[in-house]
Amino acid sequence: MSGGINIARTDKLRAFALLSPAYLWLTLAVFLPLSAMAFFSFLTEVPFGDAEWSVTLTNYSAFFESSTFSRLLLKSVMLGVKVTALCVLIGFPCAWVLAKMIKGRAREALFLMVILPFWSNSLVRIFSWAIVLRGNGVLDKFVNAIWPWDVKVNLLFSEWAIVIGLVHSYLPYVILTSYLALQAIDDSLIEAARSLGAKWWTILWRIVLPLSAPGLLAGAVLVFVPVVGSFMEPRILGGRMGTYYGTLIEDQFVAVFNWPLGAALSFILLAVVLIILAVASPILKRAQT
Amino acid sequence: MKAQLRTRVTTGIGIFYLSSILFFLYAPILVMAAMSFNASEFYQLPFQFSTQWYERMWENEAILSAAWRSIWIAIVTTVFATALGTAASVALWRYDFPGKRILQVLLFPPIAIPWLITGTAMLIFFFGVGIGRGTPAVILGHVALALPYVIVVVTARLATFDRTLEEAARSLGARPWMVTRRVMLPWIAPGVIAGALFAFAVSFDQFVISYFLSEPGDSTLPVLIYTAIRKGFTPEINAISTIIIAVSMVVMLTAARFTKFGGEK
Amino acid sequence: MTRLLTAIAAVTLTAPALHADEIRVLNWQGYGTDLEWAVEAYEEATGNTVVHEYFNSEQETLTKMRTNIGAYDVVLINSSFTPQVVAEGLLDPIDTSKLKNFSNLDPAFVGNAGLNGEGELYGVPWAWGMTSIAVSNADFDDMPTSLSVLWDPKWEGRVSIRDDAVEAVQIGALATGQNINDVQDLEAVRSKLTDLMPSISTYWGSENDWNQNMASGSFAAATYWSGSAARSIGKGLDITFVVPDEGAIGWLDGLSVPKDSANKDAAYSFIDWMIDPEFYVGWDKEGAPGSANTAATAALPDDSFNKAILKDPTLTTKVQFMQPLADEKREEFLKLWQDLKAAQ
Repeated sequence: MSGGINIARTDKLRAFALLSPAYLWLTLAVFLPLSAMAFFSFLTEVPFGDAEWSVTLTNYSAFFESSTFSRLLLKSVMLGVKVTALCVLIGFPCAWVLAKMIKGRAREALFLMVILPFWSNSLVRIFSWAIVLRGNGVLDKFVNAIWPWDVKVNLLFSEWAIVIGLVHSYLPYVILTSYLALQAIDDSLIEAARSLGAKWWTILWRIVLPLSAPGLLAGAVLVFVPVVGSFMEPRILGGRMGTYYGTLIEDQFVAVFNWPLGAALSFILLAVVLIILAVASPILKRAQT
Repeated sequence: MKAQLRTRVTTGIGIFYLSSILFFLYAPILVMAAMSFNASEFYQLPFQFSTQWYERMWENEAILSAAWRSIWIAIVTTVFATALGTAASVALWRYDFPGKRILQVLLFPPIAIPWLITGTAMLIFFFGVGIGRGTPAVILGHVALALPYVIVVVTARLATFDRTLEEAARSLGARPWMVTRRVMLPWIAPGVIAGALFAFAVSFDQFVISYFLSEPGDSTLPVLIYTAIRKGFTPEINAISTIIIAVSMVVMLTAARFTKFGGEK
Repeated sequence: MTRLLTAIAAVTLTAPALHADEIRVLNWQGYGTDLEWAVEAYEEATGNTVVHEYFNSEQETLTKMRTNIGAYDVVLINSSFTPQVVAEGLLDPIDTSKLKNFSNLDPAFVGNAGLNGEGELYGVPWAWGMTSIAVSNADFDDMPTSLSVLWDPKWEGRVSIRDDAVEAVQIGALATGQNINDVQDLEAVRSKLTDLMPSISTYWGSENDWNQNMASGSFAAATYWSGSAARSIGKGLDITFVVPDEGAIGWLDGLSVPKDSANKDAAYSFIDWMIDPEFYVGWDKEGAPGSANTAATAALPDDSFNKAILKDPTLTTKVQFMQPLADEKREEFLKLWQDLKAAQ
């Protein structure tokens, strides 16, 4: 049995060798800095120069003292849910077409084409959406050109504009991660099910979704998590409607010098996101089987 | 005969659907490109053709050098993040060890916490421990933010890998490294490519970290855009972005022509 | 192609050498100090080189100065923020004897409470301006004379104010006839702003937003900065800048020298050029805020935007200059503003 222990030890060494570069890098550049921020979130003042500070919980209790924070956090979570749902509903079928209906070289090319628009600046893209969505804008002119009756299309400064902009920004994550999982499903498995008379929704529900779940979920997480904290797209596209939880955090850093409160709000956001993911994962796992 | 027809029809619908999604994805890029040829500085319609923004961009050393800097920083970031992230993903997938869940959960903070806060934290920390600022600090930050994306994407692909394949290869006497190189890497290649593409996108669009950690005068394109916004940026920005997208497209489609990475079959 | 190559070479080859005569300026982008012709003229005359770094908010100036000790030689600080920077011990008092243009600076600006502390001057008054309103000429035949135009139901959905808590409260204070530096009745401001919110299309954040929204017709009337209005008009936007009867918010920007600057003499020579009439007349042609140098203002041509604004004899009584604001007030205003925005 001594051989078994040796194998376990070399496995441990291998695991360590593979993991440590990435995690040491993350520790130095993200975990330690964020720990400093976490520390600040318990202080009255940022300890710069000779600023006087003491330890406090007021930054966290502030969240519960005003309904503004919790209301906007709920609004942000709902936005995250909407955008994620739309990305999944739009992106998954798209990945299916790419993985199962397109053959040969065209598939590689299309795979790259999906991500290419994102090798541009997000701010430039958001401003382009503003040009499309505003009254008298590109969409308005387009609709009026093909529609015989006079209509006014002005989506800018509405929740619709925010959702369109965000779905656009995050759709590639769902398409590509779903593609990675769908492409791995053996066609013969689906053929076998079909020849046994299974209906398409049975195949989807019993074979395709469970097998592609890792990719689809990874994509959904990569959409949901950052969208809850977003503030740039909401502000530019949402106008008066564009105040979200991320806006509150940003203001603490940009408008006033209240890093402790800003940091506390960020960690509350992180905690809520992790709780949602923790609650969702067993439900989704059960749905898979 | 009937089944064949039906397959044809569904494929047709599928391709139509895929094209509409691509149109949606490219809509703002087309507008961006169109505005680079529009005379109005305020992005005003109706459209009036002009190449003045390209001419001005060509004279604008600040934009050109910032664009070049953004590109090479993104390439360096992509190489590091993809290599480190893929290695970590393989370990997370293959081995079971105490604390694995924690390592996976730790990937979420950098994605969930807005970059503004993470960037500020980095600035304070790097300043505190003496790393200071400059290009190495910028790359340190970019790679760290791109890593979680690479790990999540590559892990998603690994989850579809059939462990028995690896075991079969091992039982046939292949050494672990050979198994990894010949069996696993080809399988996860599409995931690694996707991870690399995202890493590039993350770095190329990253503003806060470059902004806080660059030396004065060493702008990247996002920094140039964000600091110009207060006084208003001109369609020169559209012009350089259009050129970058166009060149990337040519390079990528050429690469797609000669390699096969979308997965076997 | 060669241009691109030189640009590439410039990026990859130039080491960040710290030359003795390199002046590092921290400022908003496109705000005077980085005008190409002006920098070139200065570099040619003195042999010094000028490098810029930009910030996006006043709070960032502080963050950058704190974490990059010795990195800057000239820093632009709004007078209402100067005391905060002085309190952290980051600035040197100004040695006015090193500025030959100093004697021409308007004594009212030199005496500004924000720039002075403990009997010393910490910022050279440089540029000033107003936050007031600008309207689209296409929509207005008669120019409004009152701030109440923002509340006019006629323009509902085409009004905008800046996304800035302090500015929003101060606009509310002007509209309710209060002193912007000593708001007694914050509830009146709150209810006045609450009435305004439904009319607002978006809160603008930058000149970029403002110009695009005004050009596309999303705005009819919006708050704006005088210097920016001058620049937008210069770029061909058909607008008029109005100082209403209720008054306007005045602001003053100063140029300061950080305590740890390594090139103080060069910094002073650059500041001296920045307050020089010759520089200001050139800047004004491209759209500039007001100058703190009376000789510079006098040298402007008669048709300039800034000279026209100053012709209004009631102006000095109408403009209330922003005073330094305590952190607690700032946070209180932010709270009010966030509550208003969140309720939308």
